[in-house]
Amino acid sequence: MTTVPSALGPPVTASWRRELVRQQARRRLERRRRLGRVCTTLCVGALCLSLAPLVSLVFYIVARGLPALSLGFLVHTPTPEGIPGNGIGNSIVGTVIVVGLAMVMAVPVGLAAALFVVERPGKLSGVVRFVADVLTGTPSIAIGVFAYALLVLTIGYSGLAGSFALAVLMLPIMVRANEEAMSTVPLDLWEAGLALGSRRPRVVRSVVLRTALPGIVTGNLLAMARAIGETAPLIFTIFGSQFYVFRPTSPMSAMPLTIYDNATQLYPSAQQTAWGTAFVLLALVIVASVLARSWAGYLNRKARVR
Amino acid sequence: MTPVATADLCAGPAGVPGIRQSLERNRLRGNGRLYAGLRWGGAAVFGVVFVALVVTLLQESAADLGHMGISILWRGWRPAVGEYGAGVFIVGTLLTTAVALALAIPVGLGTSLLLAELAPRWLAAPLQAMVEFLAAVPSIVVGLWGLIILNPLFARDVEPFLKHVPVLDALFHGPPLGASILLASVVLAIMILPTIVALSRLSMAGVPLADREAGMALAATRWQVARRVVVPGARRGIRAAVTLAMGRAMGEAIAVTMVVGNNTALPHSLLSPGSTLGSAIVNSFSEALPGTLQKSGVVALVVVLLAISVVVNAGGQLLMRARTPPVPPRGPAGGGGASGNPPAPADSEIRL
Repeated sequence: MTTVPSALGPPVTASWRRELVRQQARRRLERRRRLGRVCTTLCVGALCLSLAPLVSLVFYIVARGLPALSLGFLVHTPTPEGIPGNGIGNSIVGTVIVVGLAMVMAVPVGLAAALFVVERPGKLSGVVRFVADVLTGTPSIAIGVFAYALLVLTIGYSGLAGSFALAVLMLPIMVRANEEAMSTVPLDLWEAGLALGSRRPRVVRSVVLRTALPGIVTGNLLAMARAIGETAPLIFTIFGSQFYVFRPTSPMSAMPLTIYDNATQLYPSAQQTAWGTAFVLLALVIVASVLARSWAGYLNRKARVR
Repeated sequence: MTPVATADLCAGPAGVPGIRQSLERNRLRGNGRLYAGLRWGGAAVFGVVFVALVVTLLQESAADLGHMGISILWRGWRPAVGEYGAGVFIVGTLLTTAVALALAIPVGLGTSLLLAELAPRWLAAPLQAMVEFLAAVPSIVVGLWGLIILNPLFARDVEPFLKHVPVLDALFHGPPLGASILLASVVLAIMILPTIVALSRLSMAGVPLADREAGMALAATRWQVARRVVVPGARRGIRAAVTLAMGRAMGEAIAVTMVVGNNTALPHSLLSPGSTLGSAIVNSFSEALPGTLQKSGVVALVVVLLAISVVVNAGGQLLMRARTPPVPPRGPAGGGGASGNPPAPADSEIRL
């Protein structure tokens, strides 16, 4: 090792300077590593902060929702405060009908609009795409008020108005997901189909839609999963009901609405109903999301076997 | 093929669909015009819905917009004197969104940096799935949790504690009620966190491997590569993620209504109950009778909210589309921040 310079001033040799620089570099590396460790720890802290609400949320939904559940809870209609035998059967049926109708409205339009974008790349389809992207971020409350102004004022509070609101909510998500799925279909496949002399609709039906089907299924089901949990578009449109309602032109109930109505009441039993409904709703959303991915996986495997 | 078959193909005898026949059939079916019509129809329905959304809301709010004019942006909400302005609610929306972003951006970026760069892959994938699961939780469920679990917790512990923090306590005046601008911001932060994490992680993963290798070749540590190569490379994606999260925070209505306290006076501290555009719409909508100026005022709130969120979202989308700049402006391995590179020794024979 070279000596440290003395007060007399040692000869400044190359080897001494080299050693000095090396020591500096070593110290700096140590400092850089320490910085990295500190910051990584901070990042781990951030991760814990992101996961904490999730853990708490899931814990309380299970801990408070599960005790509320029973077969009767799932099939009965709501009872007045304090009377046993409370249930959310009508809300479950309402959610299924309203979301189902919304899918019936939104899926075909979403497919057609996506085909429009895919088939005619140009200014107009760019506009459609941009509108879809911006609409995806539209506050759902605005869509609810829109459905109110358009439908409730003309045909009255009804499940149909709620379905329309949910359809408007899902449409932009579906258009983008469908378009993304269709644009992964290689151009060669289109050309091969057309070269066989098939007409365009035939190519789209048998080649493009079939190839893009897994992506389309995933996208549409994820949009549905989002619609199941939405409250804001329903709150001004379907009004709520205490009974089983199967006619979409009359006021209906839905699970998010039931949670909202019960959560804001002070009775413990109402809060228990809210937690139980939240449990069922979350379970439904999870089932829809898992279905979205596993169904697509199944379609993919099936396509590969062929 | 025999000549006979070729002839058949052209002539198209009964039973065998020849080219001529199929062309003929094609023509009769309108040359796929039905299909083209379908496509145009889909796009048209989509466009009509969008236009109808704007037109209907403007039409329903015309009375109030005409009554208040541009002053709707700063006047308060006083139904008693026939004043239906959005000012207080705009302040509430901006305040909750700003606080929510201040909470969610550091946490979200730290999380996504960890998931994208620092954590081993086998650990990152399940953790990421967990964070993104938060996005699937319906907002009403988050609101329920905020109302029943967080609200008492904030009233009892968090808000009294914040009142005693030396510097920050200036922000936290007033009694700890639980339901407040602060609680609404925390709930919003939780709701936008998955958006920030998912989108910024995606853009971090898109930074080319070669950039990282260049950083490592300059002896940068793992953290330095993450901080000085990956984050600058993903800057635009992160900005877009934050913008889109901001749009979501501004538009959220139901969960906020449950925790914000719903006070139509101007908030004077983060602990005071307030209102956002979304929560004001939820609260005032059913109170107002159809056809009244008040109803029109509520719809005017919707128009304001829609305008703000369209601007924010369009900005976010434009950022998402914009090309990422090819080279980050600063060298990756500059040493730990301010320390910088050592000045090159004058002696040219010294090499490391």
